[in-house]
Amino acid sequence: MPTTLRIALLAGLLALLSNLAVIGFIYVRTHDEALADLHRQVAEQSKVLTDVYRTGGRVALDDAIADTVAFGDPQTAVALLAPDGRQLQGNLAEAPAMRSLQEGERSAVLRLRGQPSPQAAQVVVTKLHAGKWLVSGRLVGEGLAFRATLERSLLLSLIVAGLLGLLCGVVLAHYVSRRIGNIAAVADRISARDLSQRVPLSGTGDSFDRLGQQINAMLDRITRLMDELRLLTDSLAHDLGSPASRLRAAAHAAAQARDPAEQEELLGSVVRNADALIRILSTVLEISRSEALTGRSQFAWFDLGELTAELAEMYEPLAEERGAALRVQLADGPVPFFGHRQLLAQALSNLIENAIRYGSAGGEIDARVVRHGKEVLIEIADRGPGIPAGRRADALRRFGRLDSSRSDEGAGLGLALAQSIAHLHEGELVLDDNAPGLLTTMRLPADPRQQPR
Amino acid sequence: MGRKILLVEDDRETANYLAKGLTQEGHSVEQAANGQDGLFRATGGTFDLVILDRMLPVLDGLSVLRALRAARIETPVLILSALASVGDRIEGLECGSDDYLVKPFSFAELNARVNALIRRREARVDPAQHRLTIGDLEIDPLARAVKRAGKKLDLKPREYLLLEFFARNEGRVVTRTMLLEQVWDYHFDPGTNVIDVHVSRLRRKLEDGFEKPLLHTVRGAGYMLAA
Repeated sequence: MPTTLRIALLAGLLALLSNLAVIGFIYVRTHDEALADLHRQVAEQSKVLTDVYRTGGRVALDDAIADTVAFGDPQTAVALLAPDGRQLQGNLAEAPAMRSLQEGERSAVLRLRGQPSPQAAQVVVTKLHAGKWLVSGRLVGEGLAFRATLERSLLLSLIVAGLLGLLCGVVLAHYVSRRIGNIAAVADRISARDLSQRVPLSGTGDSFDRLGQQINAMLDRITRLMDELRLLTDSLAHDLGSPASRLRAAAHAAAQARDPAEQEELLGSVVRNADALIRILSTVLEISRSEALTGRSQFAWFDLGELTAELAEMYEPLAEERGAALRVQLADGPVPFFGHRQLLAQALSNLIENAIRYGSAGGEIDARVVRHGKEVLIEIADRGPGIPAGRRADALRRFGRLDSSRSDEGAGLGLALAQSIAHLHEGELVLDDNAPGLLTTMRLPADPRQQPR
Repeated sequence: MGRKILLVEDDRETANYLAKGLTQEGHSVEQAANGQDGLFRATGGTFDLVILDRMLPVLDGLSVLRALRAARIETPVLILSALASVGDRIEGLECGSDDYLVKPFSFAELNARVNALIRRREARVDPAQHRLTIGDLEIDPLARAVKRAGKKLDLKPREYLLLEFFARNEGRVVTRTMLLEQVWDYHFDPGTNVIDVHVSRLRRKLEDGFEKPLLHTVRGAGYMLAA
């Protein structure tokens, strides 16, 4: 059964049920009230007549009955019966059978004088002096008729309510399924491999719009990841190719070599190339982990300034050996930061190594920690050749190595890893012109826990 | 100086290769091929060291480690793992292991770490109380002062830490990654020879003006401080 129909039927059924409840309530109440009225009237009339008999005797009662018949309500049924059942006074067409007489209130079927057929009535039977009976009551025909009318109109209104409910259901179902249908259609097209589709938004900001927005945001992220993944697999296949073939060549040459010294040299080269392959693979793994935001459970407080100073101290001798002075400039006081100390150390060491590798010729490398509003900036600046503005985005990409002839393996992953670690901390890695040279800035929110994701 | 080592490794080839190498180094090696068996042996026997693979059938390495530590068995544990990310290493160390080595590794690297762990277990006296002497080199850990042949050497704080680590592993090979982990407390692989530069600076301060070398390069493995 299609959802639309189900929603319509459900709405119709609910309308029917609630109407049924209201109508049932009205029915029961009116029924009870009509009966209560009848009982009261019958009891009152019987009491009046009995009182008349008690105070005025037979003569007064005869008069009262005659009056009631002559001037009273035409629905009134009244009769004074002799002990043998004969009607002494009253308006019954025929006297009820004697054995059915018993004191108390009861329903009966009576025919009044001058009426064509017997009708239902409510009567009170009272036993009087000397075996005489007083039968006093009312026909209930009028009440019955009213109830029948009421029942008919109630039934009619029930049918109308049911139909209206069904109609409302259809309208509602149509609305809901149209909104959901838009989303489903997009999902269908996406399943058919068109990831560029987006859910159209009505702009009202209702729940359907929010659902659509969330789906769109999800699709944006999936698209980005898919693109990256595609690029990654392509580059991985490409970049693993050259060390793998070097490895193969070295192994082959080692197997052929006769001279033990030469063979040892070649085997050393085999190990170095294998290590290079492993390094590429483990860096790629590290990037994927950071992008997947794992590792946040290992976040802790530490001083970013202290970490930067420590790393600069670690790399200072290496920079000096390559002919560059590595200088550190810290913010005033400690810079407490909540993050992954080991991964940030790795990211910063990649940036510093990059500066040393490509910027040493410029003679100076600066490492700075700067507080900037709600951000902490860690800047690594060199005076090397820098990266042209048009190629900076490439440099941040995995395997986005700018000079493909360069053979220091894994170097193409350093910036990408640093960027993914910045992402893990809700931060960003920005490449800029140091005029001359490269200015690499890691922008981190002062407290990444407060950043909405 | 043979020691009893329990090797818990499910890959038969790796296990045999390691067992052979460790036996050649003079240790006696007992093997277990899954986590449950490994835990059983480690709790039952007395070992100087447990080498524990992280991904094991039946019961994984970290669970074995947690169970051992929960049972108050303080035998040093060296974890071997193909899980190389920094987060994985930290997790392994936080579970109570004494060292964490990422696969693939050279046997020299493993051997250096095994010796360092065994040595650390034996040197349980408070290290700061004792002067370290290697040949004519004297180190006073309390004052952080270093003398060679009676002459005071002027070392930077990190150079001192580097030297103290070498001295505590006197006569044993120390690898570059061990230095990075133990002296700097970083758990990534640097892409440069940054550690070598520090070691050669320290070497210059130790050896310049003296005849006898102290800090030796061990080819294909690392460095060793020995008189």
